[in-house]
Amino acid sequence: MYLNIKATKENTFDAIVVGSGMTGGFAAKELTEKGMKVLMIERGKEIKHVQDYDTAMKQPWEIEHRGKTTLVSAEERWANSRFWGLGSEEVVNHLTNDKENPYVEKRPFDWIRAYHTGGKSMHWGRQSYRWNKQDFEANAKEGIGIDWPIRYEDLEPWYTHVEKFVGVSGQKEGLDVLPDGHFLPPMPLFAPEAYFKKVMFDKFNRPVTVGRVANLTQTQAIHTELGRASCQYRNKCARGCPYGGYYSSLSGAIPAAMRTKRLTMLHDSIVAEIIYDDQKNKAVGVRVINQHNNLVTDYFSKIIFLNAGSINTAALMLNSKSSRFPNGFGNDSDQVGRNLMDHQLGAGATASIEGFEDDYVYGQRPNALYIPRFRNWGNDKQTAYLRGFGYQGGASREGWNRGVAADGFGGDFKENLTKPGAWAISIGGFGEVLPDPNNRMYLDPDKKDKWGVPLIVFDAAFSDNDRAIRKDIVASAVEMLETAGFKNVTPYDRPTHLGLGIHDMGTARMGRDPKTSVLNSFNQVHDSKNVFVTDGAAMASASCVNPSITYMALTARAVDHAVKSLKKREL
Amino acid sequence: MNRREVIKSVALMFGGTLSAPTLMAMNHWEQATTPTTNAAAFSLTATQQKIIAEVAEMIIPRTNTAGAKDVGVPAFVEMMLKDCYSQPDHQRFMEGVTSLEQLKFLELNEAERRGALKMMEQQTKEQMKTPSKTVPFWRLMKELTLLGYFTSEAGIKASFEYVQIPGKLENIKLKTNQKSYAY
Repeated sequence: MYLNIKATKENTFDAIVVGSGMTGGFAAKELTEKGMKVLMIERGKEIKHVQDYDTAMKQPWEIEHRGKTTLVSAEERWANSRFWGLGSEEVVNHLTNDKENPYVEKRPFDWIRAYHTGGKSMHWGRQSYRWNKQDFEANAKEGIGIDWPIRYEDLEPWYTHVEKFVGVSGQKEGLDVLPDGHFLPPMPLFAPEAYFKKVMFDKFNRPVTVGRVANLTQTQAIHTELGRASCQYRNKCARGCPYGGYYSSLSGAIPAAMRTKRLTMLHDSIVAEIIYDDQKNKAVGVRVINQHNNLVTDYFSKIIFLNAGSINTAALMLNSKSSRFPNGFGNDSDQVGRNLMDHQLGAGATASIEGFEDDYVYGQRPNALYIPRFRNWGNDKQTAYLRGFGYQGGASREGWNRGVAADGFGGDFKENLTKPGAWAISIGGFGEVLPDPNNRMYLDPDKKDKWGVPLIVFDAAFSDNDRAIRKDIVASAVEMLETAGFKNVTPYDRPTHLGLGIHDMGTARMGRDPKTSVLNSFNQVHDSKNVFVTDGAAMASASCVNPSITYMALTARAVDHAVKSLKKREL
Repeated sequence: MNRREVIKSVALMFGGTLSAPTLMAMNHWEQATTPTTNAAAFSLTATQQKIIAEVAEMIIPRTNTAGAKDVGVPAFVEMMLKDCYSQPDHQRFMEGVTSLEQLKFLELNEAERRGALKMMEQQTKEQMKTPSKTVPFWRLMKELTLLGYFTSEAGIKASFEYVQIPGKLENIKLKTNQKSYAY
């Protein structure tokens, strides 16, 4: 084999990070800040913070179809447009063209993707909740899946580390179910929400708090030195924030990594394979296909972080076959691609609220209220299901669109719609999904994409336990809104599939035993310890809280271990 | 992802404005198939365009502020139907347009026109009781008229207190006759 020594040297780094999203960005930041020369590889196009947020400052009338999904978008983004609002031209160009990047649904899966710098960290909901102690212990106690190899205490300092950097606004509540973190000042609850909070506490002893959200309510030096400013309460986060008011890889981690001058970024580059050297018995680099010209280039490093998102990370591992790993890289256990989890979304209840006519709000809150899990917690024991759910939601005054369903037309009708309408409230559950090895994704044996990479096949569905949780999400939402005395309480339960929660995880789980897990307690691939997986793939269970902050904490912890191990020459 | 969308979905649910583009997304879950676009078919005759314009203006007339026609709602409605709605929606919409055409809507006086729309409103309420993937003409016409008007520059500025960059978030007390904020 001909080796271009010069090219090899130029293509060699201390660390390679695959993916630039929520965890890839954080890995690159932590690695470069610890002195590592890092190559970060992003499969999608380059987006520059601020200047490429092309719709961010558009006024409503400058959005041609005013937020509706066009037929063209619906066809090109056939999967992304399954999620509320993602087909809108406010955001649609920052979401993956599903037609050009197809996947196969043996059973339906709503795969939401954003192939560009920063990935889905540009679009996330920003809700940031620590897991609680039980979340790490429940699998072992209940005999579900496998035990986590770590506990809350292992992650606690890393949560703090991440929260400080990211900037999480929230209210300390002193709850075991929802551990407090390092918070910026909380956003306010609105008048009917404060009333709802009081009733829920008095009648059910259930806490209600304002969402913990990665928007800067009060900037610290750690934020301003990267050019980030306070949230402007426009609630147009999904378009990208020109103020850096919310955290993304683009506004936070990547600028921090660039500042070290040790980060090299590669765009339009699909990592197709992990290169395993049978002589050295270790992974030595990655094989990359250029999106546009299909040129293949190899890059080398001492350590590799896989942060492509749980599904693409698992696909990359499965596509990396060697004589050591004939079933895919790190897949001795046959668990890569299995135990695919998500959170349930799209069920809850709405109601109209009488009163509070004098109460109004200035500004748009990019946040919700949060009701922490109360099922199978404390003295509550459910016989129908394990685990539980939390709610997110909020109250707002109806706008002009109340006129669509109302009777009437003409001058008075028009005038009336210029005033705030009645208050209304909606709460929707986020239900925990249990790990199941039969919920999986794998590589299609025949079909390939236009770069010759096998298509991903999804074969997963909700379980009886998941459905029982969902039923209670609806019933409890109705009960709570009715108890609060709200009117026209209406349950909703949209038919959904796994994936719609956009919290896909579990496809390369951590564990203690290499026979049943893919990663060890520091996110290292068993038997190939210089490869780390720190995106959602690593999760051994799902909790019911939004996962990004946990992924980032796992990432920072793994980087710390990686660099220490490198210095001790253990990798 | 949001959960920021919760707010959006509250609006959707309460306005009952779940029309085709949203329903289209829902259908994907049910069918898990790629939709077929059907953009070519929709077109209006000059008479039909006039009817659309007159109906839009009756929903949002010019008062001391601009009306639907002033801000270009008729063309907006047509563009939205072409770009965002597919054949079953077009068909349902055209049923309504055709019935107004048969009524010789343009030849009716103001009171008669009003009566025709009132009747259509009542019929629509009946029709909406039967679940369907499409919405009747009146409902869609009203949705698109309100959307086109209240998101147009003149419509927003005349109707609401438009604030592009609030800069803060506060619970406040509503003043008498205070208009809604638009952002």
